[in-house]
Amino acid sequence: MDKSEIQTRIVKAVCQVLNIEKDMVTPQSNFVFDLGAESTQSVQLLAAFEEEFGIEMESEAALSVQTVGEAVDFIAKYVNQ
Amino acid sequence: MTTKSESPNPAPLIDRGLDSIFYPQSVAVLGVTPTPGTVPYDIFYNILASGYKGVLYPIAPGKKSISAVPAYRYVSDVEADVDLAVIVFPAVVVDKALEMCGKKGVKAAIVISAGFREVGPKGVKREQRIKDICAEYGIALIGPNCLGVINTDPGCMLNASFARKMPSEDRIAFLSQSGALCTAVLDYARGKNIGFSKFVSFGNMAGITEIDLLYYLHQDPKTDVILLYLEELRNGRALMEAARKITRGPNAKPILVVKSGRTSQGADAASSHTGSLAGEDSICEAVFRDAGIIRVNTLDAMFNAAILLTYQPMPAGNRVAIVTNAGGPGVMATDAAVSWGLEIARFQPQTTSRLQESLPAVANIKNPVDVIGDARSDRYEAALEAVMQDANVDQLLVILTPQSMTDIQEIAQGIVKVQKKALKPMACSFMGASDVQVGIDILEQAHIPHYILPELACKAMANVQRVCKWRQTELEDFEPLPADRTAVAAIIDDLPEGYLAEDQALAVLKAYGLPVPKHKLCKDADQAAAFAQKIGFPVVLRVVSPQIVHKYDVKGVVLNLENAEQLKKAYKDMMDHIAKVLPDAEVTGVLVRGMIPAGHEVILGAKRDAVFGPTLMFGLGGIFVETFKDVTFALAPIDEGIASRMVRQIKAIGLLKGARGAEPADIAAIEQSLRRLGQLISDFERIRELDINPLIVAPAGQGAAVADVRIRLDG
Repeated sequence: MDKSEIQTRIVKAVCQVLNIEKDMVTPQSNFVFDLGAESTQSVQLLAAFEEEFGIEMESEAALSVQTVGEAVDFIAKYVNQ
Repeated sequence: MTTKSESPNPAPLIDRGLDSIFYPQSVAVLGVTPTPGTVPYDIFYNILASGYKGVLYPIAPGKKSISAVPAYRYVSDVEADVDLAVIVFPAVVVDKALEMCGKKGVKAAIVISAGFREVGPKGVKREQRIKDICAEYGIALIGPNCLGVINTDPGCMLNASFARKMPSEDRIAFLSQSGALCTAVLDYARGKNIGFSKFVSFGNMAGITEIDLLYYLHQDPKTDVILLYLEELRNGRALMEAARKITRGPNAKPILVVKSGRTSQGADAASSHTGSLAGEDSICEAVFRDAGIIRVNTLDAMFNAAILLTYQPMPAGNRVAIVTNAGGPGVMATDAAVSWGLEIARFQPQTTSRLQESLPAVANIKNPVDVIGDARSDRYEAALEAVMQDANVDQLLVILTPQSMTDIQEIAQGIVKVQKKALKPMACSFMGASDVQVGIDILEQAHIPHYILPELACKAMANVQRVCKWRQTELEDFEPLPADRTAVAAIIDDLPEGYLAEDQALAVLKAYGLPVPKHKLCKDADQAAAFAQKIGFPVVLRVVSPQIVHKYDVKGVVLNLENAEQLKKAYKDMMDHIAKVLPDAEVTGVLVRGMIPAGHEVILGAKRDAVFGPTLMFGLGGIFVETFKDVTFALAPIDEGIASRMVRQIKAIGLLKGARGAEPADIAAIEQSLRRLGQLISDFERIRELDINPLIVAPAGQGAAVADVRIRLDG
């Protein structure tokens, strides 16, 4: 799966979980600082990504991901294994 | 270690942005979420609900509003100026938030978030980053890892914290290094009808320190008494300088501290007496004492003294009058008062007459005055009026036990009435818990300090007395003593890390005016005998070798040599023995000096402490140090007053003063030596440890002499 498709699907999940508009989200967006994710929403985002891509991620490493761009790279490693 | 970068004289608080923390015109809360019960939301809500007089901006990315207040995505989106940012973002993005605040021109920030220095190396790095950002943009920073700040001044009304309730306005300020403790303190104080002027949880002190806050509160017209909870003391010297200014003079404000916790001494702590004895807490104790900070052991004791200091006038002296309706508690209070250094007032004859006229014949009209168990309010009032007017009474303690005929409410009202006319401090103890509550409420509402036990009242009065005594203590400026710094530098500058040879160590002491007896490093027995002849027998021989630190272990010291023949034999025996037990030791020579007449043996130590910098220790030699740990400490350098305190506060001072008819020792010579030693270690950063053990002290007026010394240098 190429990274632009991964990014599109990530943005969709982010907008659903955080209840925000798509145009707020860029690859540089920090989930907390730019998109306003609360601590519980970080866990919800993780679950949403796993469901979206049908993968299971290592939680501690996944929660250390801070931006949308980093999430694309992180998830790409799982889906392209 | 206290480094040169730590300023001993921090800039006055006003210049450090603290007005923007306590009196901001506008506040932005960064990282607000719309979920009640979370720290970010509760802080925002507390500011809103406390009746804050300025403008509040929630910064909440992705949210249109928080509690009906329009929200902003970034602080930079706020068009107006923002004075104070309260940051509750997770630690990993606090730097981003602060950077944006800096660019926006925000003057001050409170970082509530945890996850910095307290979590290890990653956190230390993160904390350094936010310190750098604040320095770059000139942001005054409270925190991180704190509960927040409260200002009850009706002109501001700011509760920028996640404490449950805003305290009432009062004249006590509370500063705490622990955040969680703050909420307990707020609840405790509310339960006792105590409010605050300012309440600050200062957390990791990455920016603003407790010292900055103390300077600020000294100038704060809303604060009379400052309470401080500390877990570590980072800059003892600066704290001492600040406290000495704050606790004395025309705008003097008492500082009370509870200090808990210990900082690691470091692996290199204990190669000398000073190293092993100078526990951090002992030095803290000395810092507080020499700074005029009243240290108490519990928060209860702290508030007990604080309410007396805040709500009552300062006593003119330490004489207490006790009025009670119960003999037993009166005696208990008397015991407590006397044991804590208060004096039981002796009434003037006219007071005794007035008491005699107004009390029943069976009443005790001497102090403590017993108005007898069946006393009602009229009897209490008459007794209080009489003793309050007595010129021999400086303060008053009223005790009540609830008998069936005791009109508790009326007695409390009567006490309030008498107290309003008085210029003397008064404390009460209505003993019990249930029946007496109605009276306690009346007293507390009238700001008459109440204590559940009379002993607690006495302890509080004794702590107030410590404040009074400190204000009367004469302080001197630290004036450097004349010393030959060049000579010391010439000796130590090229030496490697480790111990100085004895002749070098003695030369260092001599350059600083310490009482070093005549001596000479001799290369052979003939030279030693010739020098001994010159200074006169008897003499001492002491081996000098870089490999021999403990001379007695290798028979490297021989005392009381009466003539040249004895000296030469002793020299040969010493060299033979050392060659046998330490064949590789390089012997520089022997030090020859005259025998020092017997006297009191004392230890003077100096140590460069990892936390406090140069410190001094004093104690009597032998078992007094080894077993009883009877030693005192101070930060170096010291003035005459501190030198005197160090010597006079050892428990065995009686021995030096001349116990059981013995001649008193030359205490002035000890004090002078301590001052010179303090200056030496302060002047030379390479001196890590220095022990004079023993200094032999002659009778008063005859001086002292250094019998042995060890000086250890850093690399």
